[in-house]
Amino acid sequence: MGRHKRYDNIDGTGEMGMGIMFLGFALLNYLQAVLPKDSTWRHGFANMLLFFGGVLLMLGLILWISRAIKKHITWPRTGYVAFRRGGKYYWKAIVVASIGGAGSVCLLVLAMRHDAMSLAEAVYLAMLVGAYAIFIYRFSREHPWKWLVLLFMVLGLFAMTLIFPGKMVESWQPAMFFVGLTWLVSGVATLYLYLRHTQPPTPEAE
Amino acid sequence: MNEQLRAISELDRVIHEPGRLMIVALLWAVKECDFLYLLHETQMNKGNLSSHLARLEEAGYVEIEKTYRGKVPMTLLRLTRAGRRAFEEYRKGLKAAF
Repeated sequence: MGRHKRYDNIDGTGEMGMGIMFLGFALLNYLQAVLPKDSTWRHGFANMLLFFGGVLLMLGLILWISRAIKKHITWPRTGYVAFRRGGKYYWKAIVVASIGGAGSVCLLVLAMRHDAMSLAEAVYLAMLVGAYAIFIYRFSREHPWKWLVLLFMVLGLFAMTLIFPGKMVESWQPAMFFVGLTWLVSGVATLYLYLRHTQPPTPEAE
Repeated sequence: MNEQLRAISELDRVIHEPGRLMIVALLWAVKECDFLYLLHETQMNKGNLSSHLARLEEAGYVEIEKTYRGKVPMTLLRLTRAGRRAFEEYRKGLKAAF
């Protein structure tokens, strides 16, 4: 009875959303790094506005892309589903995601404050990989090639830790960019395969 | 008759049929879906699916709404409160039986 969860990502929108999110965070981080030191956008309220404005824009983009793909591609081909909100599974997912998100931010802050904290770095990178592994296992088991993408992600992140040994701040930005791009490409590939294997049905009486 | 056998004999026969069980299980997990989704997930043909849905509607377990998405006709399906309760009772009954 968990099939509907996998159906939600049948078109790769879940992965694309995650990819856009990671890329967005990498971009925000890059923006903060390239802004002049005395810029008003780097301090106080303006800095918060830049960050939350960026996050809102990112969420809007994710929702818009996902909705457009569902409306124009997925629903006409394999059907429309509205998911139930509420219930213990829904809240369990929200609690797990919140704990995971808060844990990631804490680890990142810890690692940035204590530069060269390799354990925190390793745990953080493991969480990035773990998120993709859990996603494949739960929502995309019918695509075994994604385990190879996971392997590619692990090797890529491992290579980055070799390029930036013990430098969490320097490696974070390219790592986020790399992970985001991997998620996005994986989502686009899923969408491509979905389009190849499905056709809109011919209109007949139901 | 012992408790387990009684539980088997009391299973809801409308839901117990494999085709209808698939439909009800799928509908139980979602808020609503359209005919095409059930067709895709159950791999039944349109005739079979329609007749099972008609039986479930007759029992008061499924609500069928004919509507449009743009200019395309769409059949929306959802479990009624009675259908949801009946499926939960059915699951309990199966657990008790085995």
